[in-house]
Amino acid sequence: MRWFDLLLWALAALGQQKLRTSLTTLGVLFGAFVLAASLSINEGVQETIQREASKGDASRKVTVYPSWRAKRGSNQDEVKVKGRMSPDRRERIRKALADGGGRGGAAERVDLTSDRLETLARLPHVRRLIPIVGGQVVATLGNRPEDASVSSGAGEDPEFRRQIVAGRAFEAEDERSVLLSEMFAYRIGLVDDADIAQVIGKPLRIELWSPEEGPSFEVSLAGRSRGGRGRDEWLALRQLAWQIPAMLDQFRLTGDERSILEKAIRRPSATPAPPSVADDYRVVGIFRALTHEEDKDAWSRFPAGTDLILPRQTAVDLFFRDPARRKEGLAHAVLLIDDMRNVKEVVDRVEALGLRSESIVRFVERERLTYLLIFGGMTCVAAVALLVSALGIANTMLMSVLQRRREIGIMKAVGAADWQLQALFLVEGGLIGLIGGASGLLLAWTISFPGDAWVRSMVRRDMQIDLSGSIFAFPTRIALIVLFFTIGVTVVAALYPARRASKVDPVTALRHD
Amino acid sequence: MAIRAVEVWKVYGAKDARVEALQGVSIEVEEGERVALLGKSGSGKSTLLNLLGGLDRPSSGGLRVGGHDLDRLSGREMARFRSTTVGIIFQSFNLIPSRSAVENVELPMIFAGRSPRDRRAAARRALEAVGLGARMDHRPDQLSGGESQRVAVARALANRPRVVLADEPTGNLDSQTARQVMSLILDHVHEHAATLVLVTHDEELAAACTERVIRLVDGRIAADTP
Ligand SMILES: Nc1ncnc2c1ncn2[C@@H]1O[C@H](COP(=O)(O)OP(=O)(O)O)[C@@H](O)[C@H]1O
Ligand SMILES: [Mg+2]
Repeated sequence: MRWFDLLLWALAALGQQKLRTSLTTLGVLFGAFVLAASLSINEGVQETIQREASKGDASRKVTVYPSWRAKRGSNQDEVKVKGRMSPDRRERIRKALADGGGRGGAAERVDLTSDRLETLARLPHVRRLIPIVGGQVVATLGNRPEDASVSSGAGEDPEFRRQIVAGRAFEAEDERSVLLSEMFAYRIGLVDDADIAQVIGKPLRIELWSPEEGPSFEVSLAGRSRGGRGRDEWLALRQLAWQIPAMLDQFRLTGDERSILEKAIRRPSATPAPPSVADDYRVVGIFRALTHEEDKDAWSRFPAGTDLILPRQTAVDLFFRDPARRKEGLAHAVLLIDDMRNVKEVVDRVEALGLRSESIVRFVERERLTYLLIFGGMTCVAAVALLVSALGIANTMLMSVLQRRREIGIMKAVGAADWQLQALFLVEGGLIGLIGGASGLLLAWTISFPGDAWVRSMVRRDMQIDLSGSIFAFPTRIALIVLFFTIGVTVVAALYPARRASKVDPVTALRHD
Repeated sequence: MAIRAVEVWKVYGAKDARVEALQGVSIEVEEGERVALLGKSGSGKSTLLNLLGGLDRPSSGGLRVGGHDLDRLSGREMARFRSTTVGIIFQSFNLIPSRSAVENVELPMIFAGRSPRDRRAAARRALEAVGLGARMDHRPDQLSGGESQRVAVARALANRPRVVLADEPTGNLDSQTARQVMSLILDHVHEHAATLVLVTHDEELAAACTERVIRLVDGRIAADTP
């Protein structure tokens, strides 16, 4: 018997029972549809996450933060815990004490000092280390000192260049220039457009105050910002703040109140400490804040509300000139990795150094888990649907074997071998799988278009993100997998009916009644 | 020797329901011989014919048909034997109701693996030979009894079997169509020097169509006369 004949015969048998065939095929169709949709969503979502994550450099970035690490060599067993308590609680407290009582004694801080930055820069796969400097400074333009937050950055990012509304971006990482934010400029009185144009090229004095050395009191005039009446007024108020501790006994205070305050304030020094570092930088440009849409891009580069931006190296140099800050290191640094696949390895190395890190890889992996769960759930539904339709197929085919007993007997009498009869029924089952699987695929593919549009509009509404590409993907692999499963399941379902058909005894089947 | 049966027993059922349908039947039929199997209903005629046609296997005893030792054939070889060596014609036609006349005639050739073009041509020739050239695409329910049996004859003879086995082929037909059908079978047998075993309980038919009559009584051979 030829393959072609098997196929034709099975098709004819299916065609004879159109209703029965359609109903059984419908079950397979549903299973195939859910399976195809699940595979396709899984594939598409993974691709979308990958695509969204690798927009720009975000997927290759690892941000490194200082962290705490238990001091090596601290002997945990030496710690004794006194008091009567349950062994569990004793163990917990003993452990906490051994670790340094939280962050106290035995834990040591791992800072991003310049040595450590060099170590990081030399890690394998690290293409570039971008130190991120940030902090509060006092910025003085002309005669107006103003509190300002500083970030570091270079102008190489084209997306950042779009934010420059006047002047230019940096040309070198170590040029002695500064960019002002539009809001900061407004705050210090550069209100008119002409003021903005004029400020380009002017020097801005940036002073770094050691946080430890400030006065114990803050003095300000009610209803005024610190720079309200200029540098002189501010300096006078600061002078006042420094002198208050020495004059405590001149205030009308009870003995208790005075002793409480004396205990709380730092040792008063005779004169206010000068700023630890101060330098002049040329204003080269004004940048605007991120628009709402730009801000939604989760991987924006600067902390929101930054007043000043210094070139990267210039900022590092400035901050490391302050001994306290040199010791303390940077708040964080960004490592640019050569390839997304190596991020995990670099993260492991960074954490081995005792530093904390954050990277999109973690986030992507978490998203993957979510979608893996959805995918798993849908696949289970598909499996159940296929199983149920397999039972349906086995049932209807068994019935048709019983109904077609005489026909089968005739076929055997004129020379059909057992294997040929089995093959006929298996092909019949396989055809149901093929037709159901193919239509399920087609249905899933058709529905993917409105489905994609719906998800896309939902994402746009809830997250203000415009997804690129489809969240459904239909590589040939998916079609093959779905057809493989549906045909496999239906053929397996046909196995028993096929065996029964081949076991029909022609003599009994043909005995006329 | 076309057929040789040696001490063939066929037992159905067990214990109380035990039926000894054949009780040590031995026959020899020469190549090209025409033999009638005569006997009352229930005497075991069909049972013997089914054994000769490879539809069933004997409980004991040896069978050799058309040069094949049937107890040596595997399931596959037995199927091939049924489709090519023997041609069986039944009383109740046994056509597949959903298939046209020509498709029914093609059936044995499909299972024998002949090419579609080849077997379609052979089926048409066979149908024309039985005078049904105009009924090729009719389905069995659109055919009369005589036409149906002629389709069945065409099917049995299409593969040119060396042994033709007919189980009361005219039992369901009126005498005129019966003669028609019988003459078709006999024409083939003559033309191809085939062996014919004709089961019947009609003495006249047996006398007219065959040269030897074997009488079965309760599963035994009671007489074997030329
Ligand atoms: N499949 C069977 N199961 C049980 N008994 C059977 C079966 N086939 C035939 N018989 C019995 O065997 C005997 C011979 O039957 P059969 O060969 O059909 O007789 P005939 O064709 O001469 O009328 C009968 O008694 C019949 O009841
Ligand atoms: Mg009979």
